[in-house]
Amino acid sequence: MVSTASTVTNSAKLSSGPSRVARLFERWGVLVAFVLLFAASTALQGGEFASIENFRNMLNQNASIGILAVGMTLVIISGGIDLSVGSMLVLAAAFGLTLTNELIAREWSEGTAVGVGIAASVISGVLAGSINGVLIVFGRLAPFIATLGGLVAFRSVALAMADAGEIRSASSSVFAVLGRGGFPFFGFVNSAGNPITITYATVLFLAIAILAQWFLSRSRYGRQLVAVGANEVAARYAGVSVASVRLRTYLIMGAMAGIAGLLQSSRMNSVSTSQLGLGIELDAIAAVVIGGTSLRGGFGRVWGTVVGVLILGMIANMITISGISPYWSGAVKGAVIVLAVLVQRSRS
Amino acid sequence: MLEVRNLTVDFPGVRALDSVSLSFRPGEIHAVIGENGAGKSTLMKVLSGVQQPTSGLLFCDGRPTRFRQPHEAIEHGVAMVHQELHLVEALSVAENIFLGREVTRGRLGIRLDAAGMRARAAQLLGMLGAEIDSRASARDLSIADAQFVEIAKCLASDARVLIFDEPTAVLGERETARLLALLRKLREEGRAIVFISHHLEEVVDNANRVSVLRDGKFVAAFERYDGILRCAEGKPSRESALAQAMVGRPLGDLYPTRAAREDRAARIALEDFGAMGRSAGVSLSVAPGEIVGVAGLVGSGRTETMEAIVGLRRAAGRVRLDGEVVRFASPRDAMRHGVAYISEDRKGRGLHVSLSAMINCTLPTLDRFTTAKGASISTARERATTHRWIQELGIRCARIDAPISALSGGNQQKFAIARWLEGTPTVLIVDEPTRGVDVGAKAEVYRVLAQLADAGMACIVVSSELPELRGLCDRVVVLRQGRLVGELPRSRLLLPDAEERLIRLASGLSETKDDTW
Repeated sequence: MVSTASTVTNSAKLSSGPSRVARLFERWGVLVAFVLLFAASTALQGGEFASIENFRNMLNQNASIGILAVGMTLVIISGGIDLSVGSMLVLAAAFGLTLTNELIAREWSEGTAVGVGIAASVISGVLAGSINGVLIVFGRLAPFIATLGGLVAFRSVALAMADAGEIRSASSSVFAVLGRGGFPFFGFVNSAGNPITITYATVLFLAIAILAQWFLSRSRYGRQLVAVGANEVAARYAGVSVASVRLRTYLIMGAMAGIAGLLQSSRMNSVSTSQLGLGIELDAIAAVVIGGTSLRGGFGRVWGTVVGVLILGMIANMITISGISPYWSGAVKGAVIVLAVLVQRSRS
Repeated sequence: MLEVRNLTVDFPGVRALDSVSLSFRPGEIHAVIGENGAGKSTLMKVLSGVQQPTSGLLFCDGRPTRFRQPHEAIEHGVAMVHQELHLVEALSVAENIFLGREVTRGRLGIRLDAAGMRARAAQLLGMLGAEIDSRASARDLSIADAQFVEIAKCLASDARVLIFDEPTAVLGERETARLLALLRKLREEGRAIVFISHHLEEVVDNANRVSVLRDGKFVAAFERYDGILRCAEGKPSRESALAQAMVGRPLGDLYPTRAAREDRAARIALEDFGAMGRSAGVSLSVAPGEIVGVAGLVGSGRTETMEAIVGLRRAAGRVRLDGEVVRFASPRDAMRHGVAYISEDRKGRGLHVSLSAMINCTLPTLDRFTTAKGASISTARERATTHRWIQELGIRCARIDAPISALSGGNQQKFAIARWLEGTPTVLIVDEPTRGVDVGAKAEVYRVLAQLADAGMACIVVSSELPELRGLCDRVVVLRQGRLVGELPRSRLLLPDAEERLIRLASGLSETKDDTW
C-alpha cells in the first residue's frame, strides 16, 4: 500500500546524481592515477623504474609511513584526527631503544634485550595513544586539540631522554635485522647478482594493511567505527558504545606509531630524537586523503590509503631520479593532495 | 500589505500547501494555526523567502513580487523571528542587531560607527520595553531576552511585516506576557504581525484574525469585531472552537481494529519518573498488549522522558520492568532487557542516512551477526535478515546496499522500526512514528504497531498527531511542562471531542470546556 508517489521519488533519486562513469571514477580513480603515474615514471627512467628492485626499495622506504597511514585511516573514519603520530613514533622508538641498551649494559643476552625493547616500544605507543584517547573520549577535547598537545609533548619527552641527541643502539647485529632484513623474493637477483629480498618492514606493512581492511569491512569494530564516524549521535541511539569504539581507535593508532617507530629506528640502528618522524603526520594524513577517505569521517578504505602511500612514494622517487631539486617535491605533493580531493569529492 | 493568492507548495510525494490565499494587513495580529504538518511552517518559509512556491502569487503593497532569497523578503520589509534563535554568541547585542547592516562613518565607509550603533540599539530595545544592555554579550542573554534582540534586529531593518513562529513555546509565563504585550505594541504602530502558536489561549486573547490550516488547505477563518473573536457565522469563538476547526477530520479506516485484550500486570512502569531538568513526577504503567499514547506540545518533555528511560538522558525516579526496579545505562543496556526506543528524529538520530539500508537494519543487533567475538560479521545472514524485514513490513527497497536516504520517509521509518524489532523487544517506545511519512505508509505503520501489541508487546507511542493517538491507542496521557496533566481512557478517546480535550489538556486548560464559548 505504499503510495506510488514515494516509489517514483525513489527511482528518480537513484537515476539522478553523478553519471555512472563519474561514480566509477570516484571509486577507482586513485588506482587509475597510480597506474598512470607508474607508467610515466617507468617511461621517464627508460624502463628502469618498473624493475622489481626499484619497487621493492620504494615499498621498504615507505613501510613505516604506510603503517601510520593505516592507523590514521581508522582515526579519520571515526571522525577524528591524530597529529601526534610522529611524536608518538619517536617517543616509542626512544623508549624501546633506551631500554634495550640498558638491558644489554646489564649483560642480558642481546636477543632478549632486543625482544623486551620491541615490546616496550609497542606498549609505549599504545600508552601514548591511550592518553590521546582518554583526553578525547572522557575529556571531551576535540581530537585536533588533544593530539596537538601530544604532538608537542611526546617529542619533548623523547628529547629529554636523550638531551635532544641521538640514541645509538648497543645491539650490534640483532636489532637492525628488523628494519634491514627480509625474505628472499622468489629467487630474483639484482643487476649485481645479489638476491632481492622483500623486507620484513614491507611484509609487516602489507599484513597490517590487509588485516585493517578486513577488520574495517568485516568486523563488528569496523562497522561500528563507520557508524560512529558517519553520525555519532545516531550511533549512540542505535546502542553502539561510542566511547569504546573511539578509544580503541586511538589505542590502535598508538600501536601503529610504536611499530613504525621500531622499523625506522631499526633501519638506522639508532634514534635521532630531534629528527625521527618529524612532520610524518602530514604525510600520513595526505596518504589517507589521496586514498579517498573522507576527512568528515564515516567513510574510508584502507586499500586506498595504501595506494595513496605508494603514489606519494613514487612522486618522491621520480623527483630524486629525474634530478629536479628536492625542494620542489613539496610543491608537487601539495598539488597532488589537492587534486586528489577535487577529483574524488562527492558531486552530490 | 502582504498577500498570497492560490499558493501551492509541492514536496516529493506531499502537497504541503494547497491553493492557500491569505492577506496580512497593517495594524493586525494575524494568527495562523493548525496541527503539526498542516503547512504553517511551509507558509512562513514562503513569506520569508526561504521556500519557493510551486505555484501561486505573492503581493507586496499590491504589486506581485517574488522573494527568491531571505534578504529579498527583508528588503521588502518582511522579517521572520525564528523559533530557534540566530544570534551570534561571540558578538554584543548591538553588533547582533546591526549584523550585515553595519553603520559606518568617515568617507571610506570602513570605520564602524560603534557608538552610533550602540545608541540606536539601546533606543530600539528601550522602545520594546526591554531592559537589555546593548553592550552585553549575546551569550549571556536569557532565551526571552535573546528573542527581544531578534525582534530589535527586525525593527532595525524597518520591517513592516513581522512573522513569529511559535515565539512563546520556549518562554515562561511572565516572559510570555511581556512578549505578547510587545506584539500588541507593534500592532499599534501599524505593523502587520503574523503569529503562529499552539497556545490557543494566546491566540484568542490577542489575534485580530485567525486562519486555520489543515493538511495544507485553508479551512476556516475567525475575525475579531466588537472586541470578540468570531467565526464566519458571527458566533463568538474561544479555544474550543479553534481546536475543533484544527482537527475536524473523520477517523477513516486509516487505523486498524484491535484484538480484544485481557487485563495483565504491567510490563513496564514509571514511578515518579522524569528526565533531569525536563520532566518530573511522571507515573505511567503499560501492560503487555497495550498501546499507550503520550501527547503534549513541543517542549512538554515527552521525548526527553522517553530518552531518559533508555539511558540517553539522566533520569530521576524509578522504572520497573515486570516489577523489578531497573536503570538502563544506554540504549544497548535497555535493549538487553527488551526495551527499545525509536527516535522522533529519524534523519539525525534514528538512522544513519549516509549508510546502507542493510547496515542500518542490523546495527542495533550487530552482535547477533558476528562470530569469533565480533571479529567477523556474516554478511550473508545480514542480507537474509534485511530481506526478511523487507518482506515482513512491505518495505519498498530496490537495493539494500544503497544509502538509506534514497528511500521515502515511510520506508525509512519501517527500517527504523524493523532494526529494533530484530532484537525482539517486549517494550517498544516509538516517538512520532509517522513524522514525514505519507498517508499510505502511515496506515501500514499503524497496522504493524497494532499487530505487535496484539501479539503481546507493550507499546508507548509519543505523537503530536492527535488523530493518530486517538485512532491507535488504548489510552492517552498528556504531558505539559514536564508534568503528567491528564489521561484519556479508550472510552473518552471515542468521544467526538476527544482531540479537543487533548489539546485543552496540553495547553494547560481543563479537559472539558467549563468555560464559555
